[in-house]
Amino acid sequence: MPTPASGSAAVWAILRKECLSEWRTRYGLNAALLFAVTTLASVSFAVGRLGDRTDVLAAMLWIVLLFAALSSLSHTFVREVEGHTLTLLRMSAAPTPIAVGKLLFNLLFLVMIELVTVPLFLVLMGAPPPNWPSLLLILALGSLGLALAATLAGAVIAQSRGRGALYAGVSFPLLLPVLAAAVSATRAQWSGAGMAMEIRLLASYAFALLAASLILYDHLWED
Amino acid sequence: MTLTERDPAPVGAVAPALALEARAVEHRFSPGRGLPAVSFSHAGPGCLAVVGSNGAGKSTLLRLLAGLLRPTAGTLTLTVDGGEVPFPARRRVVGYVSPELSFYDELSVGENLDFVASARGLASPAERVRVSLERVGMTARADDRVAALSSGMKQRLRLAFALLHQPPVLLLDEPGSHLDSEGRDVTESIIDGHRRNGLVVLATHDERENQRADSSIRLRGGLGHSA
Amino acid sequence: MIARGILFVWIAVWTVIALVKAPLVPGLGGTTRVLYFHIPAAWVASIALAWSMGHSLLYLWRRRIEHDDHAASAAELGLVFCIGATITGSVWAKAVWHSWWNWDPRETSIFFVLLVYGAYLALRGSIEGEERRARLSAIYSAAAFVTVPFLMFIVPRIYFSLHPDPIINTSGKMHMDPLIRISFFAMLLGFTGLFAWMLSMRVRVLRLTRRIEAGAAAPALEGTV
Repeated sequence: MPTPASGSAAVWAILRKECLSEWRTRYGLNAALLFAVTTLASVSFAVGRLGDRTDVLAAMLWIVLLFAALSSLSHTFVREVEGHTLTLLRMSAAPTPIAVGKLLFNLLFLVMIELVTVPLFLVLMGAPPPNWPSLLLILALGSLGLALAATLAGAVIAQSRGRGALYAGVSFPLLLPVLAAAVSATRAQWSGAGMAMEIRLLASYAFALLAASLILYDHLWED
Repeated sequence: MTLTERDPAPVGAVAPALALEARAVEHRFSPGRGLPAVSFSHAGPGCLAVVGSNGAGKSTLLRLLAGLLRPTAGTLTLTVDGGEVPFPARRRVVGYVSPELSFYDELSVGENLDFVASARGLASPAERVRVSLERVGMTARADDRVAALSSGMKQRLRLAFALLHQPPVLLLDEPGSHLDSEGRDVTESIIDGHRRNGLVVLATHDERENQRADSSIRLRGGLGHSA
Repeated sequence: MIARGILFVWIAVWTVIALVKAPLVPGLGGTTRVLYFHIPAAWVASIALAWSMGHSLLYLWRRRIEHDDHAASAAELGLVFCIGATITGSVWAKAVWHSWWNWDPRETSIFFVLLVYGAYLALRGSIEGEERRARLSAIYSAAAFVTVPFLMFIVPRIYFSLHPDPIINTSGKMHMDPLIRISFFAMLLGFTGLFAWMLSMRVRVLRLTRRIEAGAAAPALEGTV
């Protein structure tokens, strides 16, 4: 039986390996940042500075983040399948620590993208100054939900024939609650309306997905 | 399926420290592919050969033993130290070498093994990596990227990977492939060193490798054309 | 055979009654008629989703391929009924709200169910190997199962809906003609029966297909089949 200690050692080993691989190749992060900036620029050119249209701004922000996430978060699993390293990985650790390690990496990855994208978005779109504590809370919970849904869908899709092509369609239903609640909350923090309901929704959805993931990860690889 | 016991291992009333038993174990990926039902048993240390033509199911049988696959029917039990090892725990007690085992190209030889050793939660990972590399004669290549290795060196790295956690059971799928004569010597010395106290399961279609085994399991044909 | 005959006659009779005989709900006018098909279809789409997800969970737990057959068949049929419910709902919305689609929370929910069905079936189609397909689609289905309560119940509560409350919940409030209620529940029963019958057929087809394929692959086993 895997002990918690050996499990957490495996999680850290996976996270370190992912970071080292990413640092060596810089394949995923460059692509995702380029993608986010491209989306941002096209939105910015198309609609110009939106100023006080905070409803549109909130939707745009999350669409840019969603696209960046969809373009890159399945990568951690697909890379293992395409590089034929999945057997090595499966012999080295149990499925749940592997997936949790990759989940943490995806979360870190999203934070990196947000560090670049969010300030750039606020400047380029001429957004009014946000309520920073609220926005950071929304971003944190939203990223957690995005990472959880995208990691689970990525693990499943990596073993299918379609891989990348199907990823957006398959992960979207899982991402939809995060997107709906995060957009609504982001709008509320600009307009000053209450957003307790949305925060509760984001937190409880992240929690439910985490619980489901920890149970389901165990069944990821059996053939 | 036939099992030719040249050196029958004693099976007493006491549970053997090391044993393998298959009862009509079978695995199908899809109709016509995989391993047809096979039964055999083996107890005690030694070297067990799995022979058969391409597509007979040798690799499938080894993947089942390694816990990478679950049987679609029948049972395949692996006993270590008198206790049966369930499928998810098998990766802890077996060392697995297969041509399909690949390493991370962007990491060095040492980094790959370091990752595996720490993911497995080994007590002193750096020491284990050093010993394993020494065992396959790759100490000087520890800092080379895997992408730069020849296929023979990659095969040695697979052996180092399998030895890392000092498993009681070694599963070797075509261990002689891509190796030069020096590499073959390394493999043979590893097999000879391991079979005294542990179990080596060797999948091969090389009759010479087969000759050195204590007993052998012959797989005939795939699922599609079994009689 | 007899059950099938009764089901056929039952649906035929109640369809005629619903379209011709049953009185109209005041305020909804002639659009009342579509509800005898729209609501049962939406109902079947929901129970098919629940059936499919339930069997996915059972598959992960017990690993019997029959559960996967049920999960796949229910999803295929559920998609058909869901498309039916979406189209009839959209027609109704055009007549009453003067727009085919306006992202009312109910419309959002059914759109979400369509997406889940579509994604689930697309995923199934792209995975090779019976066991792997069953396992991975069950994992996906279980994850979507977590999402359903959030989108079906919480989102409609946050946003204001123009959709009339489901008649089942408000039968006390609305003073409905008994014939409306009887024909509505009769159609609900008929649609559910139709779904159960189609599901059992589909599951049987899958089981027989598997048996034929296994038989073709291993002719030696023919005698035991």
